[in-house]
Amino acid sequence: MGFGVAFTPFNILMAIAGVTVGILIGALPGVGPPSGVAMLLPLTFGMDPTSGIIMLAALYAGTMYGGTITAVLINTPGESASVVTCLDGYQMAVQGRAGPALGIAAIGSFIAGTIGVVLLMLVSPLLARWALSFGPPETFALMLLGLTTVTMLAGEDPLKGYISMVLGLMLAMVGFDIISGDARFGFGIPEMMDGVDFLPVAIGLFGLGEVLYGAEQKGATQVKTSLRLRDVLPSVQDFVRTKWSIARGTLMGFLVGVLPGAGPTVAAFMAYTLEKRVSDEPEKFGKGEIKGVAGPESANNAAATAAMVPMLTLGIPGSATTAIMLGGLMMWGLRPGPMLFEKNPQFVWGLIASQYIANVLLLIMSTLFIPLFVRAVRIPYSILMPLIVVFCVTGAYSLKNNVWDVGMMLVFGVVGYFMKKLGYSPAALVLALVLGPLAERALRQALIISDAGIFILFMRPISATLTVLALVAIAVPVCRALMTRAR
Amino acid sequence: MRSADRVTAVLLFAFSVAFVAGALKYYSWWGSGGPGSAFLPFWLGLVMSCLALGLLVRSLKDRNPGASWLPRGEGLRDMLVVLGITIAFVAFLNITGMVIGTAIYLLILVRYLGRHPWWTTVAIALAAAGFNWLVFVHWLRVPMPEGIIWTF
Repeated sequence: MGFGVAFTPFNILMAIAGVTVGILIGALPGVGPPSGVAMLLPLTFGMDPTSGIIMLAALYAGTMYGGTITAVLINTPGESASVVTCLDGYQMAVQGRAGPALGIAAIGSFIAGTIGVVLLMLVSPLLARWALSFGPPETFALMLLGLTTVTMLAGEDPLKGYISMVLGLMLAMVGFDIISGDARFGFGIPEMMDGVDFLPVAIGLFGLGEVLYGAEQKGATQVKTSLRLRDVLPSVQDFVRTKWSIARGTLMGFLVGVLPGAGPTVAAFMAYTLEKRVSDEPEKFGKGEIKGVAGPESANNAAATAAMVPMLTLGIPGSATTAIMLGGLMMWGLRPGPMLFEKNPQFVWGLIASQYIANVLLLIMSTLFIPLFVRAVRIPYSILMPLIVVFCVTGAYSLKNNVWDVGMMLVFGVVGYFMKKLGYSPAALVLALVLGPLAERALRQALIISDAGIFILFMRPISATLTVLALVAIAVPVCRALMTRAR
Repeated sequence: MRSADRVTAVLLFAFSVAFVAGALKYYSWWGSGGPGSAFLPFWLGLVMSCLALGLLVRSLKDRNPGASWLPRGEGLRDMLVVLGITIAFVAFLNITGMVIGTAIYLLILVRYLGRHPWWTTVAIALAAAGFNWLVFVHWLRVPMPEGIIWTF
């Protein structure tokens, strides 16, 4: 059924566009998956939601591979999930084996992505059916868990992570309160009554904020490479050597990706650690070991696919990128969560089927057109940066066709610049902003049906488990910080 | 970094106190049978004020002033120029219109940042403005600001 939806010429075209733009965005340092999805989201408003999500999901898959190109060639990850690829990928390039490094990453990504979609197809309906029994306490506990895990994994400084997250929740309070009808913190400005839209905020934080940051660091990210890519295909020997790395990476990536909060970046790191641990020759890692590329690269693609599972079935995004996609779903008038599978089956299955197509496209593009993408990476920052700003402005404007949102985008661009400079987490802020209204409603409904106040969260088995996990996620970094101080 | 943390902490603390006060003054704490519209803002403000205090205490105890984070010299200048021209671009959007505004913006900024030859700069500006028009105005029919120079 899904393939019928995905195989229309327009949707295939959207998948091709998504993968192509995704590889580019992934490859360009300074623009990562969240900014890519945020900037392209406005393009999809005029489309059928299914075509829109097909493009965005293909783009997400594309960025995972695109980041690899720069990681291998110039030792600069295009996005955070490719950070570990630098370790061995760049060393391989130094030894003249950039081709096989990119090739094995492409094949690993393809295998991991495809298996990821199969698992997504099997797991999602089960999870959705289970989640149908969730009441407000469970929903709130789940959101709490999503928020705390994202914050826990967001950066080195947990305190600043939590400040970012709570700031996002406070921003989410602005606007009409659905239950009481109060227009909160509107200051009489009509545009504020609708609340703070997540899209201008996301475009500002990730798009403009990165540009301002990059403008200051000019020169640091100049891309110069003289590598010729005559042979991207790895030898059979390479493939045989890495087949288990790809399998382990896929499994690890999917498991990590399904968890709310832990996205492709964490998956890639864990896969690298795993590869090093199971290897007979761990000393080779960091010196151009192809397994150190194959494992993490498979893991980040599997995780990007798996991140769709909590987003579609529970309505809880696992990362900044899926948070923005979730916001997109709501803008298209769809309600993410377990009912999505029953109410909009053509949307869900169309998306899932399109992921198969996206993976095949990704394999084709990443082997045949690599020289083209490598050339694109060399676009100087002085040209790229202004173009990104233009896209940010146009995107923020076309949300509601007003300049107010563009102003918001500017303000949050400056905020994003300072957040990046001072070590705060824009991802936690955006996630909190998207989840805030949903979490507030769930919390208040839970308190209405409760006779034990907030302790209702601990009185139902599922919500109790989730709440305890969320509290653990809060406690772990706090304990770690206290322990390092005691030392 | 240490001084930045102190300033941020004080600002965040003031913000959260105002947030709590505003919520309690203007909105209802408890509605019919359940928490009202001031309930969550109150708790969020409280949590934020604690976090801000934590940040303040930590930065006051910190003996290491940390690396300088303020940009200087050329970096600062470039950042401010990009920001300034972008603000001007947005401020004049209703006069220049989106398409012409885009072209002007790119002409100025690409030339300033890259010192590319004029023909490259003009080509980029025209191509981007044309793409903008084709996708957003022509294809997606977004009612872009038209400006007073050129009406479609």
